[in-house]
Amino acid sequence: MWKLFLFFSILSLANTAENINSDLINKNVQRTIDLNSQLVKITGTITIENSGKQGISKYLIGFERDLQGSVSYIGVQDSQKNPLKTSEVAVIGRGTNELFYQVQLRQSLEPEKTITIIFEVIITKALNPYPHSITQKEKQLVRYFGNHYFYSPYKTQNQKTEVLVSSRSIESYSKLKPVAQTDSIITYGPYSDIAAFSLHPLTVHYENNAPFLTVTRLERTIEISHWGNIALEESIEIKHTGAQLKGPFSRYDYQRETSPNHHSIRSYRTILPALAHSIYYRDMNGNISTSTVKPHKDYIELELKPRFPLFGGWQSSYILGYSIPSFPYLFKKSSGEFVLNIRLLDHVFDDMAVDELETHIVLPVGVSNVKVKAPYEIKRLPDGVAYKYLDNIGRTVIRASKTNLVEQHIQDIEVTYTWKSHTLLHEPILVSIALFLIFVIVIIYVRLDFSIGKPEHSKKE
Amino acid sequence: MWFFDNKGTPNTTQDLKKKETLLTISILTLAAILSFATRLFSVLRFESVIHEFDPYFNYRTTKFLAENGFYAFHNWFDDRAWYPLGRIIGGTIYPGLMLTSVFIFRFCQLFHIDLDIRNVCVFLAPLFSSLTTLVTYLLTKEIFDKGAGLTAAAFVAIVPGYISRSVAGSYDNEGIAIFCMLLTYYMWIKAVKTGTVKYGAFTAIAYFYMVSSWGGYVFLINLIPLHVLILMITGRFSHRIYVAYSTLYCVGTILSMQISFVGFQPVQSSEHMLALGVFGLCQILAFIDYLKSKLSSVEFDTLLSFAISTVGAILAIGLILLSLSGKVAPWTGRFYALLDPSYAKNHIPIIASVSEHQPTAWSSFFFDLHVLTMLIPAGLYLCFKDPTDAKFFLALYGATAVYFAGVMVRLMLVLAPAACALSGAGLSRLLGRFLTPAPISQRRQKNVATDENKSVVAAGFAALSVIILTTYTMHCTWVTSEAYSSPSIVLSARAHDGSRIIFDDFREAYGWLKSNTPEDARIMSWWDYGYQITAMANRTVLVDNNTWNNTHISRVGQAMASGEEKALEIMRELDVDYVLVIFGGLTGYSSDDINKFLWMVRIGGSTEKGKHIHESDYYSPSGEFRVDKDGAPALLNCLMYKMCYYRFGKVHTEGGKPPGWDRVRGAEIGNKDFELDVLEEAYTTEHWLVRIYKVKDLPNRGSL
Repeated sequence: MWKLFLFFSILSLANTAENINSDLINKNVQRTIDLNSQLVKITGTITIENSGKQGISKYLIGFERDLQGSVSYIGVQDSQKNPLKTSEVAVIGRGTNELFYQVQLRQSLEPEKTITIIFEVIITKALNPYPHSITQKEKQLVRYFGNHYFYSPYKTQNQKTEVLVSSRSIESYSKLKPVAQTDSIITYGPYSDIAAFSLHPLTVHYENNAPFLTVTRLERTIEISHWGNIALEESIEIKHTGAQLKGPFSRYDYQRETSPNHHSIRSYRTILPALAHSIYYRDMNGNISTSTVKPHKDYIELELKPRFPLFGGWQSSYILGYSIPSFPYLFKKSSGEFVLNIRLLDHVFDDMAVDELETHIVLPVGVSNVKVKAPYEIKRLPDGVAYKYLDNIGRTVIRASKTNLVEQHIQDIEVTYTWKSHTLLHEPILVSIALFLIFVIVIIYVRLDFSIGKPEHSKKE
Repeated sequence: MWFFDNKGTPNTTQDLKKKETLLTISILTLAAILSFATRLFSVLRFESVIHEFDPYFNYRTTKFLAENGFYAFHNWFDDRAWYPLGRIIGGTIYPGLMLTSVFIFRFCQLFHIDLDIRNVCVFLAPLFSSLTTLVTYLLTKEIFDKGAGLTAAAFVAIVPGYISRSVAGSYDNEGIAIFCMLLTYYMWIKAVKTGTVKYGAFTAIAYFYMVSSWGGYVFLINLIPLHVLILMITGRFSHRIYVAYSTLYCVGTILSMQISFVGFQPVQSSEHMLALGVFGLCQILAFIDYLKSKLSSVEFDTLLSFAISTVGAILAIGLILLSLSGKVAPWTGRFYALLDPSYAKNHIPIIASVSEHQPTAWSSFFFDLHVLTMLIPAGLYLCFKDPTDAKFFLALYGATAVYFAGVMVRLMLVLAPAACALSGAGLSRLLGRFLTPAPISQRRQKNVATDENKSVVAAGFAALSVIILTTYTMHCTWVTSEAYSSPSIVLSARAHDGSRIIFDDFREAYGWLKSNTPEDARIMSWWDYGYQITAMANRTVLVDNNTWNNTHISRVGQAMASGEEKALEIMRELDVDYVLVIFGGLTGYSSDDINKFLWMVRIGGSTEKGKHIHESDYYSPSGEFRVDKDGAPALLNCLMYKMCYYRFGKVHTEGGKPPGWDRVRGAEIGNKDFELDVLEEAYTTEHWLVRIYKVKDLPNRGSL
């Protein structure tokens, strides 16, 4: 089965394999590599020129795969900030250690014309703590490995790269001239006339005390009730993925440590919808009492403190649940179908990285014709059945999973289904009938006399 | 009947009966609801959480049973406890509690009522308290009358002696065992009254439920034979008793032997011998009665004297032989402790170290029973005033329970329902006497003056009872709320500004262990915390609250009481990875490991391997146990001391006191600046309540 799947996927890739059109030239590339958080955020603008004779409407962005870390998100816009369609493709003649995304331009680029596009790429797990393990008092240093040049299947005429790091204390960085450092910004370039697929390793070794917190697994359950409520529950496993803690943990030193720039994680903020209520925060052993809720105008801020501070390599897990009214999320179409628009993934903390997400959507009893429209590619798992309070007919559960997600993946999933509103009364009627039957049985039992004769020593007061 | 007579004159007896039924049902319902509700203080104040130590084990086993089914549970060998010995759980527990909760859990699941197994466990004890209220009513009604039953039910609903072990979250055997015990008594009274096999069998079944749920069934299986014996001595033995007891003993014994933890004890151990003896006696008496009816008195006397001498001699020889050969289980320590309160203290430190095994102070009788202490004698008087078989039983139950409650604090639990039944009878009778309006025919004969006097006295008495009952209610509520509703896993204190501070350090530490230590890590701690560590942190422990292996506990005690070098040796021998201690010096939590330390020394020194540990070495020259500069050097350098006070010497705990001020002992610690050689601090909780140390690996061998 697995082999078959692999075969088909190769086949499908082969079908969509693209050619590199060498007529395209990157006229100017401006890159910013933001290394402030645990994520690598690369943003840039590319000015593309068509030096050929025919109009071109496809542009390829490439990544060298042997870079540590993995691309979690890519978004491309044109100069008017309109998003452009982007998809992963295979390219003829290139090995598997490269990754290509094809950008569909809004209209075809005529010869001798230029166009500017803006791209944003989020890469996770690209910052490696070095040294690998540190003591409680040491600072956390990380290394970034990248490319001095913009990696592109096309020739680049002119390019410049800015690297932003989180502090002034930079241990070392690679020096491909011209290069300049001011405060916490390193500027590489301008470099001109760089051939396609040029690689020149860039390294930055610097202090980064941003929280290196990874959600290793997130299970999100969304339960819809047509009585007007949506219950959400997230079961979250987190791990500090920065430098490992070496040697003892000292509570005494930890209590004296007051600087906010410590590599350990005391607490973090989760943003919930403004209408969220009945919030609970607990784990296997019960309620975790160290959390505060701050309502704001259009969101609720939840400050979560894990049971214990997290140091490098430590992990924790918890369950966060809340309810929201269904009216902003659940609509009835004129055709009688119901549409649910709800976030497939929600905010856990700023600059989050989620390794594995599994979302379950529990639909009400008696739905049919379920259609799911995901905002991005997800893996649909086989639908499940759940029995909730007093259900005798199961509820359909839509299950979907995805790996390697970041904040940019907080988008709505759309579920459409048909549902008859009279099923709402199914359970109340069932309970009423059951109670009625009990009373009838009791009434009959009390009035019946089963004895054959009078007992010998019948007790009298 | 005093409730109903004030209610104006009823039209017909039919009408009165209806009213009576309605009133009975509503009073009982209210009492049952009250008994459930009053036990919810801790859930409302904290959360739905399991309390204390043993309940965590019960909770863990219940979860296992719910997930893996009965057979897996029955054959469960637990490798998480008593490393490296393990424990056969299925054969060493009373499974009644777990089976009951899993039954409720499954039953709810059948109707898709979404109940968490934890919530079933948390609310099981209050649920069974409600049932106990009902069964107390039935029992007292059967012995006295309805009024007494209702009063007893109202008393038992809120009696602190019982609440102490049945608040929500206190998921322990006693929670359901009291219900089982009273149910068995009720069935027994029924059986004694009717003399039918049916009720005898019901008694046996109720007894089986009791055996499956609590080790305290031994009290029951001695009390009922004692009752039969007393009835024999007082000449009240009859065929009813014979049928009831023979059925109970035969069916009950066979049933009780099905519990694998009980096994063959009902026929071997000395604790059950009274039951067997009385059973034999029953047969003999019945046989004698039979012979009496067939023989003339002269023939009978000759036969009797011959039989007594031969049978007596044979029995005595047999018993001695059985005891010597070890077939009859030797008298166990707990049994001796019951008879002689000072026995355990002198002989078995591990029994003496448990606070609930201590003899009861007089004040705690009043604390746990309040006005009942004064009403019990009234009830006892009533039992003897107009004796019946059933009243004898209650009197006997009350008297033995008072004795046992005096021996061990936790047996107050057994006394509480007896006290309620007796007091209920007493108060009900008194109120009935004073408040019943005299029949009109009598009234006419007496003159008006005495009549008025009487009504004044009656009113006075009614007012007095109301005051007494009100104070009882208030006392019970206060005790429940203040003393018995703390989960002890979460602590709370008042800050200076009056706000509440929560100390959640235990769960913090267990959460840390669960998330950040290897799956197979072995944790050494004092045995008190064993159940909690296995249940909440899911890690292997060396010793736990099932204190079945004294030498193993003693070994841990030796490690705690020794210096670092010696302790390392023991810890290597036991494969210890982490050591956990409870330290209250920063917060003022007084039941921490330093205060328990002398028990560790005593238990550590009580075995062959720990001979080098002497309690006297840990006292200062003036004979005190102190942690400051004047403390004994053995104490200041032992592992426990070092683990508790590591780096504590620099901490300022209270204004105006030097750093390193221990708030529990009220002293500045004597050994401040030291480093640990064989251990390193792995984790310390926010308020320093729990400190976890990692045993260092052996140092790498230097280059040759």
